[in-house]
Amino acid sequence: MVFNEKIVNPTELRHWEGKIELYWVYTSGSAGDEFFKALKKGKFIAAKCKECGKVYFPPRIYCEYDFSETEYVNISGEGTVRAFTVARLDKDEKPLEKPEIYAIIDLDGTDGCIVHLLNAKPEDVYVGMRVKPVLKAKNKREGRITDILYYKPS
Amino acid sequence: MEVEKIKGLKFAKKQDVAIVGAGMTTWKRRLNETGKELSYIAVKQALEEAGLTIDDIEMVVMGSAPDTFDGLHMKGEYLLDGSGGSDRPYMRVFVGGGTGVFAPIAGYWHVASGLADVCLVVCEEKMSSCHPHPQSGFKGIWDPILERPLTPNLIWIFALEMRRYMHVHNIKHEDIALVSVKNKRNALDHPCAQVAEKITVEDVLNSEPMALPVRRLDVSPPSDGAAALIMVAPHIARQLTDEPVWVDGVGWALDTTMWTNRDLYFPRYVAEAAKMAYKMAHITDPKKQIDVAEPYDPFDYKELHHMEGLGLARKGEAPILTKEGVTARDGDLPTCPSGGLLGVGNPIAATMGVKACELYWQLAYRAGKRQVAKEVTTGVCQAWGDLMQVGTVMVMSNKR
Repeated sequence: MVFNEKIVNPTELRHWEGKIELYWVYTSGSAGDEFFKALKKGKFIAAKCKECGKVYFPPRIYCEYDFSETEYVNISGEGTVRAFTVARLDKDEKPLEKPEIYAIIDLDGTDGCIVHLLNAKPEDVYVGMRVKPVLKAKNKREGRITDILYYKPS
Repeated sequence: MEVEKIKGLKFAKKQDVAIVGAGMTTWKRRLNETGKELSYIAVKQALEEAGLTIDDIEMVVMGSAPDTFDGLHMKGEYLLDGSGGSDRPYMRVFVGGGTGVFAPIAGYWHVASGLADVCLVVCEEKMSSCHPHPQSGFKGIWDPILERPLTPNLIWIFALEMRRYMHVHNIKHEDIALVSVKNKRNALDHPCAQVAEKITVEDVLNSEPMALPVRRLDVSPPSDGAAALIMVAPHIARQLTDEPVWVDGVGWALDTTMWTNRDLYFPRYVAEAAKMAYKMAHITDPKKQIDVAEPYDPFDYKELHHMEGLGLARKGEAPILTKEGVTARDGDLPTCPSGGLLGVGNPIAATMGVKACELYWQLAYRAGKRQVAKEVTTGVCQAWGDLMQVGTVMVMSNKR
């Protein structure tokens, strides 16, 4: 073999196929559980540091900067677009039938953001746009981030 | 054939390194808490014990074994905010199961070099995420062409090693089982223990056969958990406590990845690592100079194996010492007084909690009900991992 030889199909070489079958079961933890329980009821919560007052979204049991405990606070779930992208290709580089808008949204009353789909016309979206969440019907909610269908202009 | 070697040790440290606080979470087969939350809980405890706040921490070392367990790539980065790593120099180290002592070794570099005066070491493992079994996560460590087609698993490669050890020294399974009996009993005094229980040698010998000679009670369980340790420079240690515990020596070594070519009855990787650590700590006769030991005990024979690697027993002598009660908590060489991995649990990297943290608690006389009977000055802890090839060793002392 010479090093400038180009191997296009590696299965033409003598080869062995390998496969490692694994899957994972993730837990959402103490703060995550509280968040999803609230979401199922159609409510949004964040966590406020008892020491410095920083409000975390998504909620967590600790303040990452001063390592104090936090307490849960109710928030509206509404917010303001901080940044957005209009995706036109899917993960396999196939054109999407309808462009998808993903936005980072500053949530009111918190120092945090959520990243989610934005249901709007691409030409209408701008940084600073006010948006609000649209949830699944109450009986369809499962306590997952996808219980939020999307955000829409408010 | 065995070759004796002592590698040269070129080493100049800027300052001594003391340990002033440690913490750990409860260890369980499955915990609801995320890895970040577990790390936070362990760090919080260590900070409280040391009398420090997170603002005092200058650098952070995270130890966590394969990403496969938690099921998150770049697990070190994922765990950062629960580990106090935000906005600080932060690094993750891992050498499989050896991480539980390798992470504090990395913490030692940070302080001994003078780069940091206060370094936080955090170790985390959440094995319950990995399915069908955490064991499945090890499928990727084998040679994909020579070994993986035979579907090896860790239990059977350790069974091979245990068999060889028993054969070479003519050791009976009942003598090895005594380690499991001792450690599970020691763990009854550990508030974080997962599988502490009073069992007999017969229970071990009659437990479910896994890959003979290994049976269910010869093995530690998979666990979720975290541990933390705070390492500081001498001038900080003096402000915090009158009785710090000092790190006297560190060592690590890796044996060949061709594990099938090893002699299997003696852990060379531990012996090499121990030589380095002992040389640094000026220990010439470990049997006499070491008062308490925490060798890595994921299997009962492994504690014996590692005692011999650490020079705490002659080759083949560790089972005899165990039988004579020398390694009991009230013996002359208390070994795994924590209850070890066999009794407290085996959250791979987080086993720092029963190795480096336990040794610190023993030497600081903070081990509570687990405190060994004899007076202790110097101790050694050790971990082992990768493809059963890495030895990581730390010597600590409460005298300066």
